[in-house]
Amino acid sequence: MPTSFVLAALITLAAQEPAAPPPAPSPAEAAEIARGLAADAVPSQQVVPAPPPPSASSASLLPDISLIADFAAAWFSGAQDAPLQTGAHDPRHTGFNLQQLELSLSKSVDPYLRFDANIVFGPDEVEVEEAYATTLALPGRIQVRGGQFLTRLGRLNNTHPHSWDFVDQPLILGRFFGAEGNRGLGVEASWLMPLPWYVELLWSVTNADGAETARSFYGEPIVLKDAAPPSLKVASALDFQHTAALKQFFELGPDWSVAWGLSAAYGPNAFGDLAAPFHRTRTLITASDLYIKYRPVTRPSTTTVALQAEWFGRRRDNPFEVATDHGGYAYLLWRFARRFSTAARYEYGSAGDPLEIPLSEAMIAHPGVQGRATAAVTFHPSEFSRLRLQGSRSWSGPAHTPGWAAFLAFEVLIGAHGAHPF
Amino acid sequence: MHSLKIGFASAVLLGALSARASATLQVVATVPDLAALARDIGGAHVTVKSLSLATQDPHFVDARPSLALALSHADVLLAVGLDLEIGWLPPLLVGARNGAIQRGGAGHVDCSRFVKPMDVAQQPVDRSQGDIHPSGNPHYFTDPRALAAVAAGIAARFGELDPTHAPAFKQNLDALVRRLMELRQRWEKRLAAFRGAPVVSYHKTFTYLADWLGLTEVGFLEPKPGIPPNPTAVARLLGLARARKVRLLLQESFYPEGTARLVADKIPATLLRVPGAASFETGEGCVDRLDKLVAAIEHALTGGTGGAP
Repeated sequence: MPTSFVLAALITLAAQEPAAPPPAPSPAEAAEIARGLAADAVPSQQVVPAPPPPSASSASLLPDISLIADFAAAWFSGAQDAPLQTGAHDPRHTGFNLQQLELSLSKSVDPYLRFDANIVFGPDEVEVEEAYATTLALPGRIQVRGGQFLTRLGRLNNTHPHSWDFVDQPLILGRFFGAEGNRGLGVEASWLMPLPWYVELLWSVTNADGAETARSFYGEPIVLKDAAPPSLKVASALDFQHTAALKQFFELGPDWSVAWGLSAAYGPNAFGDLAAPFHRTRTLITASDLYIKYRPVTRPSTTTVALQAEWFGRRRDNPFEVATDHGGYAYLLWRFARRFSTAARYEYGSAGDPLEIPLSEAMIAHPGVQGRATAAVTFHPSEFSRLRLQGSRSWSGPAHTPGWAAFLAFEVLIGAHGAHPF
Repeated sequence: MHSLKIGFASAVLLGALSARASATLQVVATVPDLAALARDIGGAHVTVKSLSLATQDPHFVDARPSLALALSHADVLLAVGLDLEIGWLPPLLVGARNGAIQRGGAGHVDCSRFVKPMDVAQQPVDRSQGDIHPSGNPHYFTDPRALAAVAAGIAARFGELDPTHAPAFKQNLDALVRRLMELRQRWEKRLAAFRGAPVVSYHKTFTYLADWLGLTEVGFLEPKPGIPPNPTAVARLLGLARARKVRLLLQESFYPEGTARLVADKIPATLLRVPGAASFETGEGCVDRLDKLVAAIEHALTGGTGGAP
């Protein structure tokens, strides 16, 4: 044993010994080298080596797996925790919060389909956030997705917390769609139009129920009873949520990008005459989103500046009237160093319509206009971890009752290298 | 029902027409080096687009929707492979909804399969070692041997997809390889005196170049792949570089200059900042790019001061 130890130590030492540069070759050797090189310089077909044996990682048929964890330490002012934290993955109480543990799996199914699944673990629940198959090779630049998926209504709705620039989701998303964002079981078709610039047209049909996923539709609690409506009996195509969107992208040179989307969702809500399903009342949500990004790539730079804004309007029929409200957010992100970025966000939600069911105790206490201003600084040690400090001031109700919140959140990712959505 | 059939048939026809509207192969390359090779081989029988610029770090390209649009009507996708594009190409491929260039499609060319990858992980790896590429180092465009092999692979695939012009592709390939091999001999002669010369680089991007020219990679400014330099690692590298009498610090121009400049001054060594790839947009080819790179290295190692060639 000691002998092998000494040997190993000697080998290590020898390996660390800087190798002396080899002496310059003699003229005879140089000529020999030249001849050898000339012999190597054969036509290309012969220098193509046999393809290397695939490495273990590339040969695997297992899905690409990654596990992403988001934790946050949170502090809220006042007796009411989290007055405007409308997202299921938002920190919601003073103390340590598990925002989510997301398990993502994806792989090609066959030459025609790929499958993506995001399973989310909360403190005491497991949910299938998304599980859908996507076609890869339909003719005419058409793509179909089927399964359970977040709808592509607006820009942020179909993204996951690890690609967000803030710890929490905009309050209007929770208020209009539910804590989990707008999603459902269904099918989506999209068409990349044959135009010189990027224009994508899409339409999806999804189940209209789910209190946390289709809040403005049939998932909405019934006024006064504050309970989920009885299960929706689908009697016609109009008893689904229909979502349509037009997504455009403009490349303004290599450094500037502009994405602009218009979308709308239409479906039944629970305020109508339940006994007569053909006389249901309906909800329409319209949205416009804008994203402008500056990232210089024609010169060395780690800077990114991005502006993102979304606006949503909602119209809900009930047997007596049409109730409307609206809201949105805008934020500016500045990545000022390779590992640091900062962002500031402003949010607004108009006073809830008469049908609004408060999302929290605080909203019962302070109905009416909601607003929030947020600032965040993020440190990215690598592509696979981040630490984020965020502070916000919110106000709600006619008296603009203030609320303060501070979060220190961190995220880690292990497994497959995730791709970054634009 | 009848009108539905007609509608379907015309839709299919329209799709087929738009897919093959032009006789030339539509080639999309992930990096400018591959685009330049495709242009040299394809000549007038291809149109080529590069998804990234030579001034851009190919690890971190934005997956802009316009890139998916370019991929949607491509006949051929040329990718570097070995996970270089893993952070941005997969969503573009899905968004492109083009069966021809999906992984496994006839038009999907992972060019790493034409070269013998270096730095292939022989043991289990994890990211405590940095943002590593377990299946091999993807920066193989600085070795003329790899370049010739990739060119041959591309020409063969072009020939399969467009048999009419296969002889032209072969002819262009032969001309390219002949020129490359002639220059290769000259380059090797010019740098023969520097075999074994110790060099430092920012990222592990010049491993193939070092292997080809017999340069010795002493260390990297990044303590681990993808991890920015830190004071401890820089101090250690400085000591090592001085002990090994390093005279050249090589890095791509898209990496930050400050630390590299400091280290180069302290060693002292010449800091050579070079473009990350051929400048495809201005018409530069891979061979020209390599010629400039060799000239700049020669200049730096013979005591000249650095700068982009």
